[in-house]
Formats: sequence, structure tokens, C-alpha cells
Amino acid sequence: MQLDLKKGSRARTLAILTLVIMAIFIVRLFYLQIIRHDYYVAQANNEQLKQLIIPAKRGEIYAMDDGTPVPLVLNQAVYTAFADPKIVDEPQKMIDLIHRVAGGNARPNLDRLLGLKDSRYQILATKVTRQQAEMMKKENLRGLGFQEESQRVYPEGKLAAQILGFVNNEGKGQYGLEDAMNARLTGKDGLLQSVTDISNVPLTIGNKNINIPPQNGENVVMTLDRNVQAYTEKALADGLKKSGATNGSVLVMDPQTGRVLSMANFPTYNPSEYNKVQNADAFNNATISAPYEPGSDIKTITMTTGVDKGAVGPESTYNNTDYITVDDATITNATKGQTGNITFQHALNYSLNTGFVTVAERLGDGKSITLAARNTMYDYFYNKLHLGQLTGIELANEQAGTIIPPSDPQGNAVRYSNMAFGQGLDVTMLQVGAAFSAVINGGTYHTPSIIAGTMNDDGDAFTPAASKGSVANAIKATTSDTMRKMIHDARSAFYAGKDKPGYYIGGKTGTSQTIENGHYVDNQTVGTYLGFGGESSAASGPKYVIMVQVSGKNMNLQGGRDAMPIFTDISNWLLSYMKLQPKG
Amino acid sequence: MSYARSTQFNRRSSGSWGRNQNTTRFASPVKLGPVTHTVLVALMITVLGLIYLTQATRATSYDYEAQKIDSKIADLNNQKTDLQVENARLTALENVQNSSVARNMTQPSQTDYVGE
Repeated sequence: MQLDLKKGSRARTLAILTLVIMAIFIVRLFYLQIIRHDYYVAQANNEQLKQLIIPAKRGEIYAMDDGTPVPLVLNQAVYTAFADPKIVDEPQKMIDLIHRVAGGNARPNLDRLLGLKDSRYQILATKVTRQQAEMMKKENLRGLGFQEESQRVYPEGKLAAQILGFVNNEGKGQYGLEDAMNARLTGKDGLLQSVTDISNVPLTIGNKNINIPPQNGENVVMTLDRNVQAYTEKALADGLKKSGATNGSVLVMDPQTGRVLSMANFPTYNPSEYNKVQNADAFNNATISAPYEPGSDIKTITMTTGVDKGAVGPESTYNNTDYITVDDATITNATKGQTGNITFQHALNYSLNTGFVTVAERLGDGKSITLAARNTMYDYFYNKLHLGQLTGIELANEQAGTIIPPSDPQGNAVRYSNMAFGQGLDVTMLQVGAAFSAVINGGTYHTPSIIAGTMNDDGDAFTPAASKGSVANAIKATTSDTMRKMIHDARSAFYAGKDKPGYYIGGKTGTSQTIENGHYVDNQTVGTYLGFGGESSAASGPKYVIMVQVSGKNMNLQGGRDAMPIFTDISNWLLSYMKLQPKG
Repeated sequence: MSYARSTQFNRRSSGSWGRNQNTTRFASPVKLGPVTHTVLVALMITVLGLIYLTQATRATSYDYEAQKIDSKIADLNNQKTDLQVENARLTALENVQNSSVARNMTQPSQTDYVGE
């Protein structure tokens, strides 16, 4: 086809005009599509491409119940009901609805909030449940909206509050397991990037779609036994009521594994209402974060050192005069009158300080606490039994405490004479419990642990955690046998009738002076009791270790009078709960 | 009945062909002009475009279906979580201890142990 347009004809003019217009279009399209390509693609992406964060589910926390995991912390979707006052056309109806359905979760002064017509967002009620939100949605009120969020729920209420900790408003774990294992519990948010329609429905068109699924946090199972924890908390509260003490803690461990069965603290709090707590001390788990001078409980460790080194035995004797001099310091017994040539078993029964200073002396030259004696004590206390150092328990705010080594100028004979009966060192209850477990379990030090394993996403398959490790023969097995009998005899000397018959129970009292402004005070003592229990058969070994501590401002509390009854209560209950059979 | 020949054959002698060359060629009697070509191409493009649009729309309609299903899954998951929480609350120690069954329990007067 050949167009033959005459020069100057209208057709020719029209053709030229068309060509020019087409050229303009082509140039404009070239400019828009080629030169300004990136700009318009970015604009299109801004409008059409949406990035949605898919929040990861925070891991749940479980405890054991006779070997079966049960939930202590779960997640639940709750809603914040909000309104856009500018478009609300039935404010009174909305107020009535919120009050009727949300009840106590409604904000005060709703009429004032809805009257703020310049505002586009006013919260009317928080923590509204799904069912409540559904009920409100059905009313189809203009301007009423809901925002979903996840909150932690605690089916067991206050149980194990200091162990669990809580999650703050920013979604970060605070105190306890929530804090220590925040990274593992949090998981990783997912990302959905997609072209969306006007209702934000993701569409598969486009080549920039990304779908990274969230990685939910791990569901953690603790070694804690729900029933032991509940009973321990109750026994502690009852015991404190009887003694009048204002503060107390109880630790229950399995001496054969180092696993924590219970950690109870008083005063306590409700983790779902953590924001109402007036004194932040209630958040602390004193069994790991409050180092203290353990007092006479430590005599079991000093005696273990003496027996293991062959320096003394339960029937070895010394001359007790109710006081002993070390350098320029004179140490006296709290219980007086047991003077003369007495055995170390007798000294343990009556908790005589002089006896254990003598043990320290016999670790050296027998007359004074030499450097060699101090080095030996330090080796047992710090290196073998891990007192004064972090245990690595999977809970936040664990404190190491202090044991001053002999190489330090303060690690002199006077210091170590005090350490022999539990003063001059700072340790936590967990450290003492773990060390004591090694003393009575045959000599193996088990690193304390509170993590039993993990649960799958559906919460129906349990995977046990690897053992945290242990040190066999931290002390000799024969030493452990001797110490178990000594501690059993020490309890039997005064409290035999308190225990259920047919079981093998041992324990040691402790009454520690406290330091105020750098000086020991006379009007404030901490009472402790440290013991074990189990079947009488030596082969089966002790089944539990319990440590109790009670204290109060300006209160003289004693281990035997105030802490021991709590131990007995829990011990007798545990014998039944663990289904241990009496002998004889 | 007569048949018209639809194929024309050019004789060898009419061109400058070599000895072994095929001298027969197909020549359609239908002649398509440039306008027809243009229209046909435009039609083809239109049809292809329609096919693309149909497929894209169908894929998008699946997206809406998928969105509805996702929404339902999320709702069911929320319901499941609510039920789990409710179950945990109902089986919490405090509830169990305060239940009428537990309140009516009594301490055993004697415990007999089965020998090992």
C-alpha cells in the first residue's frame, strides 16, 4: 500500500499532524516509562506494596506435675476497643455497650472521651476478651474499632511468681525466667510483603511478594513441680504467720540431679498485676539474688572438709571451753555448757562454733588456721562445692556472693575461723542447697538447673533438655556417707519425733547475725534450716533437699524455732507426695 | 461436478531455475493487505490480553478465598487458645482444691504399703 498524498493537501497535513502527536506521545511515554521508571515504580510500590509484620508467638512456660508438663504461663488474644469520636454518631449507645460488655475494663469518663471531636483515636476499654469483642462488633456501631494484642495469662495465679517474672508493656521479659530466657521465648517475627487491594487483602500478582513465616518462641518446661511449689508456698506462708517473720524463702531440690523442685518466696505478687506492686523487692527471687551469711548450716561443709581430708571424724574429740581464740579474736559458742572433751558429732548437734574452728585448725598444724588450712577450706568451699560463684541457673538476677580467698589480705585466719561456722562469707540459698546436695548424695556436685526441656508448638510433645553437667567425686563417697549419718544424728538429737517414722531425715539449724552499716547487730538474726529426706535404705539415697530461711526487720529469728517447723511440714508432705515407703 | 484447480504450477522453462531445484511453489489465491494484517495482529493481542486478564483475575479471586480461609484459621486458633486457657484455669490447683470433690475428701486413717 502506498499513500500518495499531494503536497499541501488536507490529508497530508492531517498525516503530519498525527505523526507529530504520536511523536509527542512517544517522547512523553519514553520520559515516563524509561527516564522516570524508578520514580513511578517506587510510587506504585508505596501505594500497592504493603509490608505486614507477622508477630511471633511468645513461648509458653510449663512446670511439671508428677512428671507431666502443665502450663503456668500462656498467651491469650485480647482487644483494645477504641473509637474515632469524629465519626461516632451514637455516643450514648456506644457508652452503654462498653459498660455493659467490658465492665471493669472500660475507661472512666467515656462521655468526655467521645466528646473530643478533634481526636481520631480514643481508647474506650482495654483487655477485652475475644467473646466480648465479638459481642460489641455485632452492634455495628459507627466509629468503634478493635485492636488485637497478645497478653500473658497465669492460670495458677501467684504460683512461682518470682521464678516466672513477667513481660512488660514493651513485650520484654523482666525478672525470673521471662528475663533470663527472653531471647528464646521471644522468637522472631515474620514478614509478609505483598501487593494488596484497597482492603489490604494480599494479592499474588507482582514479583516482589515475600512471605517469611514467624518463628515462634520456645515453649519452656521447668523442673519445678507444680504441687511441690504450691505446698511449699503455703507452708512458708503458714510458718511465717506463726513466727511473725515478714520475709522468707524455701528451696527444694533433687539432690540426685541438681534439679530445682520449688523456689518459694514471701512476700509475693501476682504477675498479671505486676504494675500494682509497690515494693520492687517482691519481684526478687531471694534464693538466688540475695546473698547472705549462711551461719551454722555451713558447719556441715566445714565438717565435710575435715572428714574428706582425714583431719577429723564424727567421733574425734576436742576440748570445748565454750570459747576459742584466733589471733586477736575470741570466738564463743551460742550454746554454752557443753564443755569438756566432746566429739565433733556432739559439736554438730549443739552447733558449737568452737568445734568447727577446731576443724579448721586441724586442717593445718592443729594449733592455728595456717595458710595450708585456709587453702584447703577455700578449695572445698569454692572449687569443689562452688560456693560464692554463679551457678548458672536459668533465672535472671542471680548473684555470686563472696568468698575471700587466702591470697587476699582479708583472707586471714580470723576470716577463715568465722567462715568455719558460717560468717564472713556471702552465699545464696541455691549455692548452699547445691553444695549440701553433693555432701549427702554420695559426693557428686550437680550444677543446679530449672529447665527440664521444651514443648512443641502444639504443646503436646516434650523434649527433655540435656543435663547441665556434674562433677563426680567432688568429695569422697565415704565422706558423704559419714556426713549423711552425722546430719541425720544431728536432727535426731532434738527433732526426731517431728518426722514421720520409718524415713531417714537429716538437718542442721542455722541462725545468722546480720550486718547493718558494716557492723553485726544484736537485734536482727536470720533463721535457716537445711536438711534432706528420703527412704532409710542407703542405696536409694536422699530424695530431696530443703532449705528454709526466715527473716524480718529488727527480729531475732532462730533456725530451730522458726525455720525448722517449715522444713518439717514440707518434708513430711514430700514423703507422701513422692510415694516413699517407710522402713521398719 | 467440476473441481477448480487451486494450485498453480509454474513451469521450469518460465524461470531461471537450476536442474535439481524444486520449481513448484504454493501460491494462495487469498491476498491479505496491510490493514488486514494490522487488524489480525491487534485481534491476537486483544485475545492474548483477555486470556491474561482472565487468568490474573482468577488468581486474584483465589487470593480472596485464601484470605477468607486464613482469617478462619486465625479465628479458630484464637478459639483454641481461649479453650486452652480456660482448660488451664479450670484445672489450676486452686480450682481443684476448692472443688466440691476435693472438699469432701478425707484423710486416710491408715496407709498400707505394698512390699517391694
